[in-house]
Amino acid sequence: MHKTGAPFIAHRRAPALLTLTVLLATLLLAACGAPSSEPQTSGETAGPGQIIVIIPEEPASLNQYHAVAAIVRQVADAVSAPLAVPDENGAFIPVLAAELPTVENGGVSPNYLTVAWKLRPGLRWSDGEPLTSDDIKFTWEAVSHPESGNVLALGFEKIASIETPDELTAVITYKELNQAYLQQFMYGILPRHATGAPEEMLQWAWNRNPVSAGPYVVKQWNSGESIVMERNPYYYLEGQPYIDRVIFTIVPDPGAQIAMMAKGEAHVHLWPGEVKEIYDAQVAGQAALQEVPGQWNMTLFFNLSRPFDGDPGPEPPHPILGDLRVRQAIAHAIDYDLIVTAVNPGTFPTATPFAYGWYKCDQERKYPYDPERARALLEEAGWVEGPDGIRVAQGAPYAEDGTRLRVQLNGYTNFQPLVKLEEALVEMFRVVGIEATIQNDDFSIIFGSYEDGAPRQLGNFDILVYDTSLPIEPQASIENTYLSTAIPTAENPAGNNSSRWVNLRADELIRAAGATVDLEARRAAYCELSELIATELPRLNLYLFTEGYGASNRLSGYKVNMWGSLTWDIQNWKLE
Amino acid sequence: MRTYFLKRVLHAIPLLFVLSVVLFLVVRSAPGGPLAQAERNPNITAEQRQQLRERLGLDQPLYKQYLDWLGAVLQGDLGRSIKSNRPVAEVIGERIPNTLLLVGVAFVLTIAIAIPLGAISALRQYSWFDYLVTTLSFAGQSMPVYWLGLVAILIFYVWLDNPFTGGPLLPAGGMYTLGAPRTLADLIWHMILPVGVLCATWVAWYSRFFRASMLETLNADYVRTATAKGLPRGRVIYGHAGRNAVIPLVTMIALDLPSVFAGTLFVETIFSWPGMGRLFWEAARGRDYPVLMAIIMINAVLIVLANLIADMLYARLDPRVRYE
Amino acid sequence: MSELTVSQALTRPGRRTMEAAPLRVLIWRRFLRHRLAVVAMAVLGLVIASAVFAPLSRYTPTQQNPTNALQPPSPQHWFGTDDLGRDVFTRTLYGGRISLAVGLSATLLSLLIGVVVGMVAGYFGGVVDNVLMRITDGFLTLPTLFVLILIATLLREIPALGLVSGVIIVILVIAVLSWMWPARIVRGEFLRLKQRDFVTAAESIGAGHGRIMARHILPNTVSLIIVQGTLMVAYAIITESGLSYLGFGVQPPTPSWGNLLATAQTYALRAPWLMIFPGLMIFLTSMAINYIGDGLRDAFDPYSAR
Repeated sequence: MHKTGAPFIAHRRAPALLTLTVLLATLLLAACGAPSSEPQTSGETAGPGQIIVIIPEEPASLNQYHAVAAIVRQVADAVSAPLAVPDENGAFIPVLAAELPTVENGGVSPNYLTVAWKLRPGLRWSDGEPLTSDDIKFTWEAVSHPESGNVLALGFEKIASIETPDELTAVITYKELNQAYLQQFMYGILPRHATGAPEEMLQWAWNRNPVSAGPYVVKQWNSGESIVMERNPYYYLEGQPYIDRVIFTIVPDPGAQIAMMAKGEAHVHLWPGEVKEIYDAQVAGQAALQEVPGQWNMTLFFNLSRPFDGDPGPEPPHPILGDLRVRQAIAHAIDYDLIVTAVNPGTFPTATPFAYGWYKCDQERKYPYDPERARALLEEAGWVEGPDGIRVAQGAPYAEDGTRLRVQLNGYTNFQPLVKLEEALVEMFRVVGIEATIQNDDFSIIFGSYEDGAPRQLGNFDILVYDTSLPIEPQASIENTYLSTAIPTAENPAGNNSSRWVNLRADELIRAAGATVDLEARRAAYCELSELIATELPRLNLYLFTEGYGASNRLSGYKVNMWGSLTWDIQNWKLE
Repeated sequence: MRTYFLKRVLHAIPLLFVLSVVLFLVVRSAPGGPLAQAERNPNITAEQRQQLRERLGLDQPLYKQYLDWLGAVLQGDLGRSIKSNRPVAEVIGERIPNTLLLVGVAFVLTIAIAIPLGAISALRQYSWFDYLVTTLSFAGQSMPVYWLGLVAILIFYVWLDNPFTGGPLLPAGGMYTLGAPRTLADLIWHMILPVGVLCATWVAWYSRFFRASMLETLNADYVRTATAKGLPRGRVIYGHAGRNAVIPLVTMIALDLPSVFAGTLFVETIFSWPGMGRLFWEAARGRDYPVLMAIIMINAVLIVLANLIADMLYARLDPRVRYE
Repeated sequence: MSELTVSQALTRPGRRTMEAAPLRVLIWRRFLRHRLAVVAMAVLGLVIASAVFAPLSRYTPTQQNPTNALQPPSPQHWFGTDDLGRDVFTRTLYGGRISLAVGLSATLLSLLIGVVVGMVAGYFGGVVDNVLMRITDGFLTLPTLFVLILIATLLREIPALGLVSGVIIVILVIAVLSWMWPARIVRGEFLRLKQRDFVTAAESIGAGHGRIMARHILPNTVSLIIVQGTLMVAYAIITESGLSYLGFGVQPPTPSWGNLLATAQTYALRAPWLMIFPGLMIFLTSMAINYIGDGLRDAFDPYSAR
């Protein structure tokens, strides 16, 4: 019965092997001929005029007006043409502008509604075409077009007109005050001759191969692998940039990133996600983490409203966290010194969301580390110690008797410093009789929107743990975070008051700050708000992360800038 | 049998429709959305996020989004990536050759090594060779791939140097040396570690599997009968035992083939290989729905096809299997 | 176990000698002859014992001392300390509890679903087979991340699960995404075996479908199922660690070998002991389980050369 097919293998092995060989050969050939966006220019090999920059993810485009992800700006600043940018102290400095327009030098009208930018003379784009004030005008036309796909809030819609009396001058007339007028062109101006129609901005070929007025131009973009940049021959600074070629290479695994730095093969390492002490020990002598206090503020967000009740609104109160005394007890339970010295060493303690910038407030911690006080507060709030040391409700205002004092910490995954903090908090809470569990979710869930079912927006959480930041001009963000009308609901899905905090004084203060142009008055209002937050504890601010990157010891000339990106000063970098 | 397979192919079409609905629902009903990055960006206001939602059509009812997507796909338009705004076909097209190369080479090598290893160790059961192969293959599948990958990087990149150039013995990742001309030799040099790690785990699986089914058939009555009838040993092994032992293996290979196209996430991540596995994972993490659905559906089509092929081969190889 | 093998022996004609001694004894004797399997049994026993007796350690798995972080192995801390100054030895032992539980439960669940589906599909054939196999194909197309998120979202609504929900999520995800392989294999075997004489014989004496499937055909597929099953235990333990690497494994601070290993990845150059010890445990366990499976296969096989 088996005779029919007996010699099967013997018959077919040869053609099978042949097929495999052919397949292999085809694959190899296909890969060698694999398309890359530009033909290889020359046979130059790696030399001292070249640095390798490790980036953990790939930017989607180099057009900063579409930059939803933070990675875009980190790379795109190397090919961007801004008029002015904030330096490492947060003060604006001119780049392509000859000087900053001010009221004193006549660049800004006394009512701040007219701003005249003057370009440096003789500027050229990387294709040799002259860069003129018409390009400034085009940038406004393009970005403010409703189909442009712009995502940045820069106030372009407030511009009434732009006049270009000569090739170097652009006079901007505003319909209404734009407090952030210096920021207007910090993400670069766009060349009219080398881009396309504004309504097609999302599809411009320019987005991935920009004609640049920055220090570099894109030479080759290998999807998922590397972006090769070479110096822009028309860059306005004589002799700069100093390094001929910069290669951004996408290396997703942290272990592989560290290995490349330790071996000295890569020179810059964006977002190492490690504390300096450990980082420097890992790359032993080849590089060091360069850092400054940053803008990411690690915060606990308490949910003041009952979770999982199908109602995103502020009522009824959270059975545990709805009681201020419990929140105070949690604040007293945290050993802040241990956190900034040992758990996340190198971070900077802060007790306020307004921790930097012109609106910085000196906020004292209202409820310092004091486990005894924490226990007393919990007793007072009707939480008595159970047999296993974890407290249970007995006369607590919002919880049924017998409820266990258990809260869940909800953070995002793949960020080791956050996990360490959570694990340390679990231990600190346990000491005072609070049981905490950790549930870390996918980034897209934690920061998802109301319609996406994000627990943060639906109010289905106990305590959120993550780092948050404020921009240079913070009013819009503050309004959407602390106003009682900003509680996310089906009617107001974009609201960001995820703590469900309702405080009428806070509403007054925020509205007052929004009604004035006087920075001192605004700051005073913010600082009173800060005081309220630190007392009422809708959230608890812990510390600021540093901003920075790993840099090879052979690299010099760079300055870490919390307001800028990795590449904001790449024209000044030197090797050896 | 021809009608059976014709029927199967016809069945595949409604199946893929059902699958597309189910997969669309699975992907879209999981919490999380594509605007999370915007949420984290202090320069993007809530108002702008809402506008972005509308522009992407995410505010439409789900069924309408599905129908829009389906309509476009049926006309050959996979849409544009939410993340990069480039055509999905282009985004995927850049990665497919890389993945085919890496996984294809590893797969072919694996099969070429695993079948003889499995066969010899079955024929010489309990010999030292059998023990060695068994132990090595157990070892190969006893470690997580990402761990093996990092250990390989530590050994061959960090610790061992090339005695001639003084540089690392093997590269840490990527397809080509950065900033150097792209040559075939350079490519092969970069493929050694990722292909090696893939093979280490796959050879284990397949050789073990083949050994087991070979032993099974070697002991089957018809093989014993064939031996008893005095057929030459080689003929018995290749003609009877080998052929029947290949049957389960074929099923296995056919079922695994789609993963060749889907790529292998861990190896691509550890060795910075710009393949489909990483693209898929990034699209999943970032909820880049058009890219995600395209890859998922390509994968679904491949899996349905692979199963069809597996059944077809099965029937051809084993005359006892009959389909009506 | 013995029951399966009794019927297995009965279904294979011409092996009467085997019934001289009770099969259970015979199989055990044959298993003992596979020396590596016996060694593996001892190793696995040790690993299980270490997990069971983990509380005897002088540290608890979550006890922290952040000022004593990343210390190399020493008499105080045999496996060193991790980034929060916890004892890695203790965490590795406790991690074993989770990883072994995940490996075994996920495999059993997956085999249970897979064998039933494969059995029914292969035995009845026709429309039943077609429908079941298309469902199987469908499960193969599911994207891991989203299955995981959906299961996690569903379980989160059940607060009573509390601390264990993270482990249950991982077990369910692995089972849901892996039962298709045993199903395919069992189905294939059933398709092949159902036309054999012994099935026809059983049918002719009026045995029911259930009896034929379970008593006559299933025992003949046991060796393949065992090979598959042992491979799957190791696979499940390794998959758990893969999920941890991607950030979706068992939630901290509960240790599992997977999340210990995943965290260690970032400290590879500074604190290699973090990746060596949990890695070694995964390796030893997986090797041991594989050898035991190997031994069992031989022992079950009445034609085994030993």
